[in-house]
Amino acid sequence: MRRFITVLFVLSLIVMVFGTVTAQDDEKVLVVGLSEDYHSLDPNRAYEPGGSQVHHSVYDTLVTFPSDSVDEILPNLAADWDISEDGLVYTFYLRDDVVFSNGDPLTADDVVFSFNRMKNLKDNPAFLADTIASVEAADDLTVVLTLEHPDPAILAKLIFDAFSVVNADVVREHGGTDAEDAAETDTAEDWLMNNSAGTGPYMVESYEPTVQTVLVRNPNYWGEPAYFDRIIIQNLPETSTQKLILEAGDIDIAMDVIADQLPSLRQNDAIEVFSTQSDTLIFLLCNQDPEIGGPMSDPLVQRALRYAVNYEELKFLSGEGADNPAAMVPIGFAGALDPSEGLTRDLDQARALLAEAGYADGFTIDLEYPDFNYIGTEFGIVAQKVQADLAEVGITVSLVPQEFQVSLEAYRAGQQGFSLWLWNPDYYDTLDYVEFLPNGVVGNRANWTDENADQEILDLRDAVIVETDSDTRNELFRQIQLYEQQNGPFVPLFQPGVHFAYDANLQGFAYNGQWRVDLTKLHY
Amino acid sequence: MSLHVYLMRRLVLMIPLLVGISIVSFTISNAIPADPTAANLGERAAADPDIVAAFRHKWGLDQPLHVQYLTYMRNLLRGDMGTSIRSHRPVVEELRRYLPATIELATAGILVSVIAGVIFGVISAVWRNKPIDFVVRILSLIGVSAPVFWLALIGLLVLYLRWDVVPGPGRLDARVVPPARVTGLYTVDSLVAGDLGLFRNSIEHLLLPALVLGAYSAGLITRITRSSMLEVLSQDYITTARSKGLREWVVVMRHALRNALMPVVTIIGLSYSSLLSGAVLTETIFAWEGIGRYAYNAARTLDFPAIMGVSMLIALVFVVTNLVVDILYYWLDPRLRHG
Repeated sequence: MRRFITVLFVLSLIVMVFGTVTAQDDEKVLVVGLSEDYHSLDPNRAYEPGGSQVHHSVYDTLVTFPSDSVDEILPNLAADWDISEDGLVYTFYLRDDVVFSNGDPLTADDVVFSFNRMKNLKDNPAFLADTIASVEAADDLTVVLTLEHPDPAILAKLIFDAFSVVNADVVREHGGTDAEDAAETDTAEDWLMNNSAGTGPYMVESYEPTVQTVLVRNPNYWGEPAYFDRIIIQNLPETSTQKLILEAGDIDIAMDVIADQLPSLRQNDAIEVFSTQSDTLIFLLCNQDPEIGGPMSDPLVQRALRYAVNYEELKFLSGEGADNPAAMVPIGFAGALDPSEGLTRDLDQARALLAEAGYADGFTIDLEYPDFNYIGTEFGIVAQKVQADLAEVGITVSLVPQEFQVSLEAYRAGQQGFSLWLWNPDYYDTLDYVEFLPNGVVGNRANWTDENADQEILDLRDAVIVETDSDTRNELFRQIQLYEQQNGPFVPLFQPGVHFAYDANLQGFAYNGQWRVDLTKLHY
Repeated sequence: MSLHVYLMRRLVLMIPLLVGISIVSFTISNAIPADPTAANLGERAAADPDIVAAFRHKWGLDQPLHVQYLTYMRNLLRGDMGTSIRSHRPVVEELRRYLPATIELATAGILVSVIAGVIFGVISAVWRNKPIDFVVRILSLIGVSAPVFWLALIGLLVLYLRWDVVPGPGRLDARVVPPARVTGLYTVDSLVAGDLGLFRNSIEHLLLPALVLGAYSAGLITRITRSSMLEVLSQDYITTARSKGLREWVVVMRHALRNALMPVVTIIGLSYSSLLSGAVLTETIFAWEGIGRYAYNAARTLDFPAIMGVSMLIALVFVVTNLVVDILYYWLDPRLRHG
């Protein structure tokens, strides 16, 4: 026994003395803490927000957004583009100086291959290509995109990771295909998990699922070289862990900070914090079908709800950075009403409307919601707040928390009478919010169809989905939002804040909703 | 009966047990009123009936339940546990990737808890009602009652952030390349590769999670050891040994402890198998890519092949660990050998 302990002691000493890890010397490394464990590094299947950190650093799209907003479309791989009079044909003129990470020059064929592959893989993001009829190479550096019908949002959609341009030759070599049956025959996903074939400033060096992804500098990059030689994206699922590691200095930037952590982080001089409202819209849904929605199907009741909710307090509850959108278009999108134009709480008006609807004595209703925490927003708490607010106008709300998947199914099937949900934009164009209009994806979940909608909103909707002139679009959206404030089955509650924390010495931080943080622009 | 026969019987009984578990897991996962298409397809894709139909067909979800089950079992016998809906990788491959991490963590945890538990338990029993006994009993109470996530975060805050005694979460430092895979256990593989630095790094990263994970079992083992020792120490044969003039240390360790260990071994076995089935909270906080996190993510996203795979694996782990514990009884208690 004694001898065993002595041996153990000596061995430990040996390990302590001789066990040192050789660090990679002289390399500038950025370590990022991210809680999402994305599963695919195949850009044409890209649909996970966390995966953007990789795709945006490794691949390029034809056009792009500025690093800190989604307000305007900038050239990227396409130096310029034309749009035909009828809005159906987009002609992109590619830069002539772009090369892939292996040195191959970019040609229109690569773009055609990438777009067709994305569409034919029929994976999660494929719906973004729904309006595309065909894409062809007019010559080596010219791509012609033809739409099925005018789609004012197409340029914004093309910025999505799924439209990343990959090296067609390399991807084909590893089993990739853009044929009609790509969904069954493409086998390049495996190779793309551990390698990359892009034009971006970095390349994928390794990917360990749920552990980390390592990116290394692309020596053949066609643009301004990035600062860091290597980027390590560490999967740290627990936000408290991210905070601790950031404070200890072992990561440079924490991507998943929640509002509760802000006061403590703000006190730390070595750490910089960034807060703004996210693009997630938290809202209440009322079912227009009287059999499912009961009193909630009454337009007067729906209007009363919009006057009964305490917007200020909901915003406060959500924490720093949160804000209340004026209608069902989030702040930050082109054409969105300014928050100051939103409805303010008016209990008298709410009670009057309820009385007019025949509910002077109030009524009881169930509020169904997924009982989960969405990036710091605790749905249970929001539901309780709604319950408290509505109690003040005589509506007794019974809370019905549900397991996420169960609730999701009922929601998608349009079976929830009164529920609390969230919506993240599918793409960064205001057109996405047409889904909250009759016959839209969410409109249908509230049973708001062409049959039971006012002609006014149907006309507005039909006009905005084909309008390409930005001023006219903004005016149409303005009218739609004003309509939504008085009518319709939705109540916009708030947009939760989104927060990041990083080493105070780190420069070049910028946020936009599409890819969140551009890692390639960071430097010390 | 002899050990061989006993072993054979147990191994044979394992088969209907595993089949039963597979039926139960399968039934339960399919009985939930939720659809994997909703869990795995984005909002838009799920609204498109063509995409939904293609998805269901691809994953065999459009077959009747018993057909799905038989297909699964047939593939299982060939060593194919299907492909994870979420990651598109074979489940067997994923389990092989994540299991060693949990084995490493669980083994480290059980080592900590056994060493601490037995030592404290013995001390507490021998110096019963002295101050040291009270201290140990309070510590064990904390170990058993403190929520594991709280312990983990406090541990990180104090030992990692404030005192810099242990490294942060993760199995290795971020910039370190893992050793070439032999067993998947970083400690073993780094020794095999002869890399002492890597070995040290992996041990350092194991310290705090093992401590946190082992805290509950340590508390439990302490209490069981203590009560078992107290019972044994009051036996006649202990008085006899003392009266023979044997040193107290010999009496305690050689005579008392050996006999007191029986119930402790049961607890150790149960604790080990529960640690092996993965500790989700610990693994999440320490960014450990283990089975617990995998099982949680599989359940959350209704990834049926992964859920089935993980359930079967954990069931197997439990069954095997219980078998080992029973064999240990044979070794510990001579009476069973000749029974």
